[in-house]
Amino acid sequence: MKIDVRLNGRDTAWEAPAGATLLAVLRDGGPNPARMISVKRGCETGDCGACTVLLDGQPVNSCVVAAGRAHGHEVTTLEGLAADPLMISLQKALVDHAGVQCGYCSPGMLISLYHLLRECRAAGVRPDDHAIREALSGNLCRCTGYVKPVAAAAAVAAALEAVQAAAPGKGTVAS
Amino acid sequence: MWDLKEYRIAGSAGEAVAMMRRGPGKGVYIAGGTDLFLFPPTCDYVVDINHAGLSDIVGSPDGDLFIGAATTLHDLATNPLVNRFAGGLLSEAAAHCGNRPVRSTATIGGNLCNALPSADLAPALLALDAVCYIADEDSQESLPLEDFFTGPRKTVLDGRLLVGIALSAEAAKRRALARRLTRSAEDIALVQVAVALEVIDGRVGAVRIALGSVAPVPMRAMLAEAQIEGELLSDLTPDRLADAGLIAASECDPIDDHRASAEYRREMVGVLTRRVLASALAWNPSDDKEGGAA
Ligand SMILES: Cc1cc2nc3c(=O)[nH]c(=O)nc-3n(C[C@H](O)[C@H](O)[C@H](O)COP(=O)(O)OP(=O)(O)OC[C@H]3O[C@@H](n4cnc5c(N)ncnc54)[C@H](O)[C@@H]3O)c2cc1C
Ligand code: FES
Ligand code: FES
Repeated sequence: MKIDVRLNGRDTAWEAPAGATLLAVLRDGGPNPARMISVKRGCETGDCGACTVLLDGQPVNSCVVAAGRAHGHEVTTLEGLAADPLMISLQKALVDHAGVQCGYCSPGMLISLYHLLRECRAAGVRPDDHAIREALSGNLCRCTGYVKPVAAAAAVAAALEAVQAAAPGKGTVAS
Repeated sequence: MWDLKEYRIAGSAGEAVAMMRRGPGKGVYIAGGTDLFLFPPTCDYVVDINHAGLSDIVGSPDGDLFIGAATTLHDLATNPLVNRFAGGLLSEAAAHCGNRPVRSTATIGGNLCNALPSADLAPALLALDAVCYIADEDSQESLPLEDFFTGPRKTVLDGRLLVGIALSAEAAKRRALARRLTRSAEDIALVQVAVALEVIDGRVGAVRIALGSVAPVPMRAMLAEAQIEGELLSDLTPDRLADAGLIAASECDPIDDHRASAEYRREMVGVLTRRVLASALAWNPSDDKEGGAA
């Protein structure tokens, strides 16, 4: 089937089998020249989150989403956020806090955390550890034990709050 | 990979049904796909209902709710109308399903149509007297959710489309609470109990006790409900609630599997029913009319 999708800000047309998952097309298929290899193939049962991407801005497990579901929609992978300041600060924080070990889960975690922090920034709230852990509820990590990724996200959240508080005309945001 | 010949995208409920009935071969509806991709059925085509106008939650001025079948679990968990309906029982149930990315695409319709005995939305919806709206090419039907499930992974649908779920304003004010017992937070529930009841002038009105994972289909424990309905709050001693729990336990029909024995599940139905009833009866007494709260 032909799938018209806006992939990382660019209109793209895929030719994919009717039964393909979004994961299969993003990683291996279609005429898209750049393979989105940040999208990892893990469990393929929706449990591990290695394949997390944004569909219309919402995090989804691309291994349990039909490729056809993306027709007429917007898909964002880590590749599409490479120049995004919020994503760059998250990546730096994850490295600084030793929240990356083997790295297999990292793209999925980064997408989930990016989504959380962007929503919180828009709502003017700072996520607490519970909210961060909830956002990571779909990202299995076999290496870090989650403490360091959570600390990294908390550090970025605190920095965002400081920036917002310093912005002229804005008060301190609620937590 | 799932061997499908065709992926059809429906622009309306009517078109979805027509695409399903058109053939050739066998088709299934697809919403979130979070169940289908785990166990892809043998079929020729799927009909995607995500663009069919079935993803809205609409409240009537009277306080009734209509929830489109393709509404996602994330929307159920966060929608203010659903958050307020019967203490947010349904939002809570949705928020406990799977994980955040799964809830972005998984739908209420898929949860019910998949018809697992352990479907997490079923007990909450049974306790709120949910009504199913079903459509075919030239017929429509509405029926209580209790009559929707016919066996494990079986429903009355037979190729028809679940359009949505209606909740009546009558259920909105019920005190509603649920508990689910699992081995780990993300595992399938061993036992689910949802209770919704109303208290009017110190007396219990309508009572619903719904059970999941303990019978071939999600079910109501009607004999246990009858023990509580119409009783004065002051008469409902801990012993009476324990009795109601035992009756609920006798009504269910659990199986043995690698997660738990039937005996354990049955016993836990008794314990959880007693506890959830006790909490619901004691819940926010100041909200009741006789409490005279502001
Ligand atoms: C990682 C993971 C965790 C999960 N955790 C939970 C959990 O905690 N609790 C729980 O209850 N479930 C859980 N599930 C199962 C699943 O996500 C839910 O049951 C979900 O609500 C299914 O919805 P869907 O839209 O994805 O269904 P789909 O996969 O699209 O469809 C499921 C079935 O319903 C049919 N169908 C869908 N919509 C309609 C309709 N409108 N009319 C007629 N037929 C229809 C389809 O043909 C198919 O047979 C989990 C799944 C995964 C992958
Ligand atoms: S590969 Fe998709 S969730 Fe594991
Ligand atoms: S860093 Fe190895 S799985 Fe998370």
